[in-house]
Amino acid sequence: MSAIQQYKKHNRQAFLMVLPSFAGLLIFSFYTIGYVIVLSFTKKIGGETVFVGIENYIRLFSRDPNYWTAVVNTFIISAKLLVELPVALILAVLLNSKMKSANVFRVVIFMPYILSPVIIALIFSFLFASYEGIVNNILMMLNISESQINWFGTRWHSLSVIMIASVWQCVGINMVFFLTALQSIPNELYESAAIDGANSQQQFFRITLPILKTMTRVITLLAIIGTLKSADLALVLTNGAPGGKSENMMTFVFKYFFSQGARIPQMGYAATAGSVSALIIGVITVVYLVTTKEGNEL
Amino acid sequence: MKKINLQKVIIFIFLIMVTSVFLFPLLITFFASFKSNMEILTRGAQVIPERFNYENYIKAWNIANFRRYTLNSLYVTALTIAGILVVSTMSGYAFARGKFLGKKIIFSLFIATMFLSWGPIMIYPQIQVARFLSINNSLSGYVILRVFTVNMTMIFLAKSYIDSIPKSIDEAAFMDGCSFFRIYWNIILPLVKPILATICLLTFGETWNDYLLPLVFTMSKPELKTLTVAVVGLKTSGQVASSWNLMLSGSMMSIVPMVILYFSMSKYFISGLTKGAIKE
Repeated sequence: MSAIQQYKKHNRQAFLMVLPSFAGLLIFSFYTIGYVIVLSFTKKIGGETVFVGIENYIRLFSRDPNYWTAVVNTFIISAKLLVELPVALILAVLLNSKMKSANVFRVVIFMPYILSPVIIALIFSFLFASYEGIVNNILMMLNISESQINWFGTRWHSLSVIMIASVWQCVGINMVFFLTALQSIPNELYESAAIDGANSQQQFFRITLPILKTMTRVITLLAIIGTLKSADLALVLTNGAPGGKSENMMTFVFKYFFSQGARIPQMGYAATAGSVSALIIGVITVVYLVTTKEGNEL
Repeated sequence: MKKINLQKVIIFIFLIMVTSVFLFPLLITFFASFKSNMEILTRGAQVIPERFNYENYIKAWNIANFRRYTLNSLYVTALTIAGILVVSTMSGYAFARGKFLGKKIIFSLFIATMFLSWGPIMIYPQIQVARFLSINNSLSGYVILRVFTVNMTMIFLAKSYIDSIPKSIDEAAFMDGCSFFRIYWNIILPLVKPILATICLLTFGETWNDYLLPLVFTMSKPELKTLTVAVVGLKTSGQVASSWNLMLSGSMMSIVPMVILYFSMSKYFISGLTKGAIKE
């Protein structure tokens, strides 16, 4: 076999080795997206799927306040990042050392991230149980609250429990992202700044923060996308309680696809809500990337 | 000098406080999982149970059939890990070393999956595909779906690790007439063991913790439920008040293997998750 023949054979084998995931990509990612988009223009009438044009979209945009409540809830829940990211950054700065104890703190704070969101949802629904729940008991012991609070009784209570559980789970990963960013800053920068007489505060504001800016952009984007498309935590923690008022975009879509219980599944409409939700996330991503572009700082 | 020490002490105390906030929910759950249902419902303020009874665990394991669900979880986790190890290192290797027509385009299509944030919306059409292939009612169907759905994190991890191996090694093998696949199998794979460990751990976590997809796969066959689906199922079935003890002991059964694995290999977990997520 000549070298050229062998080389050609190599290339063929290389392609064959990508083929399994490439086929998976086409079938399970691209085909399924197309499927949802097509499905969103259909409706099941008498057991048959019929093409109905933009009827589902009209219904979603004009006659379904529940969906838009869910969209607003998604944004409210995302506001947890205003706490989560600064806390993560502070912890990262404090733990950016080679001390052994720093490593212990890091490992513990990161731990919730490796647990299942749904198990965390179970744990938090236990902690926030309205009757004899530990959180209520602590609040009453400290005289912050006079009676047992029903944490799943109003929209705002439900949403705040979701936010607390979600912050608790996700601070760790963002802290580690920030730590990676901090550790990528070369030490010489600080050394030469110190020689020039900069104190540690000046070093932090003049060197650390500006360099962190680029990484912060990526970290924030990942956090936003992660929050917008998460369904499982909220689905198990509040399941929309009370009466669907704490639903978010993804749980809304999921429930229309896989209605457990009384509601009749409406695949077409679920697909419509899904496509619009995906579009909303896409638009937010693009807007975020454009507005935070270098040299265009807000 | 003294001032710096004081500052350090304050920071240390602050960190201890923060860390206990992170431990608190798990500790409460751990202790409560040994309480009887009566005690959970009436004496929530008392963290430590009156006496540690293991009945909840025995009941969950035998009567609530968690033994079966744990075995199901172990089964899907093991198969998914094996599948993802093979598929992700093969594509990682081919992208790192191979030269074939359209490689750049195909690779950018792979990257595009990271920005197509359809998340849970994709589950229904994926199930439809599984139904078409008649694999929608078995756990192996779930495994097939998981293995072949592109997971860019794992491919990135494999590719960047293989990129760091000097090319001269496989060039020498090439000269000796080794085929592309043989170079992967006999030379590259043994060299990338650390990244195999990372992929293995991350996949373990993802599969063991997975909820929505296995939920949908086992809706019509409850005996196939995975542990996570079964534990959560106690809450969604509406018998919350009467089964807190089972739910909590079940949660512990799901958490403890994860936590042990994490504490013994936290370095791999943390570096794997950061490297896989923030890339180029």
